[in-house]
Amino acid sequence: MQGGALGVTVVWQLGPVAITETVVTTWVIMALLGLLSVLLTRRLTLRPGALQTAVEGVVTALEAAIAAVAPAQARHMLPLVGTLWVFLVVANLAGLIPGVHSPTGDLSATAALALLVFLSVHWFGIRAQGLRAYLRHYLTPSPILLPFHLISEVTRTVALAVRLFGNIMSLEMAALLILLVAGFLVPIPILMLHIIEALVQAYIFGMLALIYIAGGLEAQQRTADQDKETT
Amino acid sequence: MQIDWSTIILEIVNFLVLVWILKRFLYQPVLDIVAKRKAGIEETVAKAEATQHEAEALKQQYEGRVGEWEQERGVSREALQHELEAERKRRFEALQMELQAAREKARVADERRLMEARRHSEQQAVTQGARFAGKLLGRLSGPDLDARLNALLLEELENLPDERVAALRQQATASQNDAEVLSARVLDDKTRRQIESVLHTLFDRSITCRYHEDPALIAGLRITLGPWVLRANLQDELQGFAELTHESSAD
Repeated sequence: MQGGALGVTVVWQLGPVAITETVVTTWVIMALLGLLSVLLTRRLTLRPGALQTAVEGVVTALEAAIAAVAPAQARHMLPLVGTLWVFLVVANLAGLIPGVHSPTGDLSATAALALLVFLSVHWFGIRAQGLRAYLRHYLTPSPILLPFHLISEVTRTVALAVRLFGNIMSLEMAALLILLVAGFLVPIPILMLHIIEALVQAYIFGMLALIYIAGGLEAQQRTADQDKETT
Repeated sequence: MQIDWSTIILEIVNFLVLVWILKRFLYQPVLDIVAKRKAGIEETVAKAEATQHEAEALKQQYEGRVGEWEQERGVSREALQHELEAERKRRFEALQMELQAAREKARVADERRLMEARRHSEQQAVTQGARFAGKLLGRLSGPDLDARLNALLLEELENLPDERVAALRQQATASQNDAEVLSARVLDDKTRRQIESVLHTLFDRSITCRYHEDPALIAGLRITLGPWVLRANLQDELQGFAELTHESSAD
């Protein structure tokens, strides 16, 4: 078991697979969200109470936010993007609990999410019009731009991972340093800033993922339209 | 800051599992119930719109029926007006006829009453005139007038036509041989013999006469033989005049 301020504590080593604190925290968050979902949607009625209204409000707000960017694919993108928002909010705020580190303070976790977003962009794009038509959008408007497209794909994914990791890790680090230097109650404003930053970073990550996916759909759609005009 | 590939893979798997969990237990149930409610609302709205359309159709039908009823009522009212007018005219004419008949009846009754009154007046006048004439003649009468009336009677009897004589003889049966002679004054023997002689000649058999006096006769004779009565006196003449006048006024 090793760890530190910037390191990750390994809870259990199973051969080459290291079960880190990030993974355990993620499992706990998954269990809580799953249990909460089951409890909240166990007795849904056509005449909703206050709690059901709140749950329906959250879900429909998520769907509406997605529909504002990609109206045609909102229902298909809701599970991925909505889960990103919900998970990131909870994961970012988990660092407020004493003794618990945010999973998003681990670059491996944010890299995993960024990698998922990267794959999702291509998955939704290929699913919409096929592999050949999707790949052709890298050659538009000119094949010369192909390297820039590829670099853009990599850099924005890296930026997605590092941005979230850097913000959350720096917040936790700043709170820890202030606590060590100033005293017990002084980090409270930093913790309040942590709440705001957690919500903002969750929103940014989810919205960027949504925009990337919608951009991929729109790019291949634009390519198809140009092909039709050429024909 | 380090990258742990096992953590990356586990996080990817964890996130995909979380996506499935939330989709299965959160998004899908919530979206289903929202869609179900939306469908219910749309169904209710559709029913409400259908009901509204039906109500509008019923309203239009009702307005059409009301219009037809108004038209029918107008036609019925006009027909009733005509019928009432005809009935009023008929009743008015019947009333006019009844009034005319009543007026005619009253006029006839008035005329009859007037005629009756006039006849009664005339009768009274004749009666009074007869009475007046009787009194006047009673004061003026005397043996001479008796003699002239008796002579007039005897002369008329003697000069009766043959068919009249035959009728008298036929009416007077054989058993009726007694005659009653009523006079205003006592008859002398000569006159009595002349009477008996004329009667004997007239009936061709012997007639016995019984003589009586009645001053009411004023002057003259009245001979009664069974159903046959010979009048030659002023009272009977005056009465005859009065009855004749009465009969003529009644006609």
